[in-house]
Amino acid sequence: MLDVVLLVLASLASFGRMLAAYILSLLVAISLGILMARRRTAEAILMPILDVLQSIPILGFFPIAIVIFVSFLPKSIGLELAAIFLITTSLLWNMIFGVYTSVKSLDPNMFHMASVYRLKTFSRIAYIYVPAARAAIAANSIISWAGGWFFLTSAEVISAGSEEYKLLGIGSLIMDLYSKGDMLEFYIATAVLFAIIIASYLLIFNPATNLVIQHHLLPAWHRAFYYIYRFVSIVWEHIMHLGIKFESKGMAKHNMVIAVPLLTLPLLYINVVANLQKSPLFILEFMTNFLISLARVSLVVVVSFMITIVMAYLSLVKGLGPIIAIVGEILASIPAILWWPILSPLAVKASWLVSFIVFLQGSLWYEFFNVMLFGVPKIKMEVLELAKVYSIRGFNYFRYILIPSLLPSIASGALSAWGGAWNASIVAEYFESGSTTIDLGGVGSMLSKYTYGGRYDIVLYTVILWALMIVLLNKSVWSQIFKRVEKSFVVE
Amino acid sequence: MALVSLINIVKSFGEGGKVLRVLDGITLDIGEEFIAILGPSGCGKSTLLRIIAGVEKADSGEIKTVGNLVYGFVFQSPTLLPWLTVVDNVALPLIAKGVDKKVAREKALKYLSLVGLNGFEDFYPQELSGGMRQRVNIARALVVEPTILLMDEPFSQLDPLTAEALRAEILDIWLSGVTTVKSIVMVTHNVEEAVLMADRIVILTPRPAKITKIIEVKLPRPRDRRSKSFQDVVDQVYEYVS
Repeated sequence: MLDVVLLVLASLASFGRMLAAYILSLLVAISLGILMARRRTAEAILMPILDVLQSIPILGFFPIAIVIFVSFLPKSIGLELAAIFLITTSLLWNMIFGVYTSVKSLDPNMFHMASVYRLKTFSRIAYIYVPAARAAIAANSIISWAGGWFFLTSAEVISAGSEEYKLLGIGSLIMDLYSKGDMLEFYIATAVLFAIIIASYLLIFNPATNLVIQHHLLPAWHRAFYYIYRFVSIVWEHIMHLGIKFESKGMAKHNMVIAVPLLTLPLLYINVVANLQKSPLFILEFMTNFLISLARVSLVVVVSFMITIVMAYLSLVKGLGPIIAIVGEILASIPAILWWPILSPLAVKASWLVSFIVFLQGSLWYEFFNVMLFGVPKIKMEVLELAKVYSIRGFNYFRYILIPSLLPSIASGALSAWGGAWNASIVAEYFESGSTTIDLGGVGSMLSKYTYGGRYDIVLYTVILWALMIVLLNKSVWSQIFKRVEKSFVVE
Repeated sequence: MALVSLINIVKSFGEGGKVLRVLDGITLDIGEEFIAILGPSGCGKSTLLRIIAGVEKADSGEIKTVGNLVYGFVFQSPTLLPWLTVVDNVALPLIAKGVDKKVAREKALKYLSLVGLNGFEDFYPQELSGGMRQRVNIARALVVEPTILLMDEPFSQLDPLTAEALRAEILDIWLSGVTTVKSIVMVTHNVEEAVLMADRIVILTPRPAKITKIIEVKLPRPRDRRSKSFQDVVDQVYEYVS
């Protein structure tokens, strides 16, 4: 029989980990996002780094997590911190970009106003930057929160070299139950996980988003949220108030130095790699697998785009938005590895299908929520009325009305979806439980095998090449796409 | 006696190959008076105002001030934060200085009622008309209890009727002496507005801006736009506006 106490403890542990990682992400996103938007040098240095980091899957951060947390600290604390760090790597990036874009696009007069009235850092954060970024923070939190759950299992099972540590948590518990073959208990635990995910959206993230974008776009329970909102605002106001008091007395130094730890990470990588011997054979192995994954990821991004357009149509024209949104939140949050057991009848016979579904879950929802939360509210009503007046329907409706209206959000959504798909490759291309091993090849599978095999030298090597390829593709493909979008489709 | 003396202020923008000089040796004394700085669009008037306020640095030249001056700044567009209520927008400069929130709000209310916005304190900027938003902008400039009020084309984005009413109110507030304001420096490209309001009109050339002429307006207040003497001053100003 399933141990209820264990289940409750595991759920609390996972939720606590997620919350800690989320709060950490929020604080880092606010600091770095503002820093990048306001300081040219910070922007020039951090932008390309973050671009790469967001495409590196959670497993790619394992070596860093181990080096920083597990080798130096007592095991119990170190592993816990490592897990929080790892979850953070799947929450953080889009939140930084959200804050950055909001602050960057503020009316320049606001900055004049702020300097005329001598607003210092904390006043600016409290009264200008964070309020301006609220909508972006809320919308990105929805996606990030799902991303955290999606990779939860990967963060709760940490392999360090030849040893593997399982943290107490609902992700690792569910995988345990599955590999032991306790199907009923497996389903109960999965149901509990779903309940936690749904509750966290209905109580926290959906009402928060509805509040700041001033549209009741998402299903939510607003009454309970009120208390959470009160609590968070009071805490936030107190911190800001202290900061303002502090800096008004002229004691605060006005430069933030949070960028430093992040800057050291790539250096660490380079350092380790310098000690590795290069092997042409390895590069060949990497390139073959990378191309396989590239084909998959590209297909997934295209399919995500098409599904998103259909769903945007259903929300906009048929009013199905709230239903699609909550379904999306749940599907996007299901830990990736769970898809294999859930779809176990298909797992062996049609493993490519399950793989595709996992890829899609890690990718589609970035596109969808970008379009729904940033694109749809900005559609001009006149354009939709124009379509009605001239009865533009069917293919022409998509071609001339819907897609052009949504294009900027489609493009930025597609870039996130692309990053998401690369991230998902580690769980979509490789699955192992008990005696079942499914290996579809590709660079994600490669990274998984080497990580769980404890070959951190090769993991590092793979990640470096991976990062190089991503930079190359971002510079050649994506920047071209964005240039064209900016040129032809800025509807203002 | 001059509160602020600008001596040979020079300012250029741009870097590398493209350097654009906007201010070319501006020398001006600002006393307890109403000064209008008149010049064509884009000649660097606003830059001069920001240099006086101390938020922009001149490339060369000197600014001498008497004691510790406090500046209020009325922006061309209201520049209110949409997520703060009217009273919080006005109180913001004080709160940022570390003034207790309650005290800051009380002071804000006082200046809101001075600009005729009694009862609108809990509204959000987007719920107000353009003229009312500009009043909030003015109240925010007054709340810091400035010695010098700097105004950057404050009426240019309002409809003519609202603008005229607000001009009269600004003059009333200034002349009645209920505020701490000792002098007002207003940037404008509207000749009649300058003649209507100012004691002295400083006329600038197109970029790079130099002072062509300073005209003293000795007409008694309230001034009548239709009077012959008013038109004479306007004509005199137009002679120097290129």
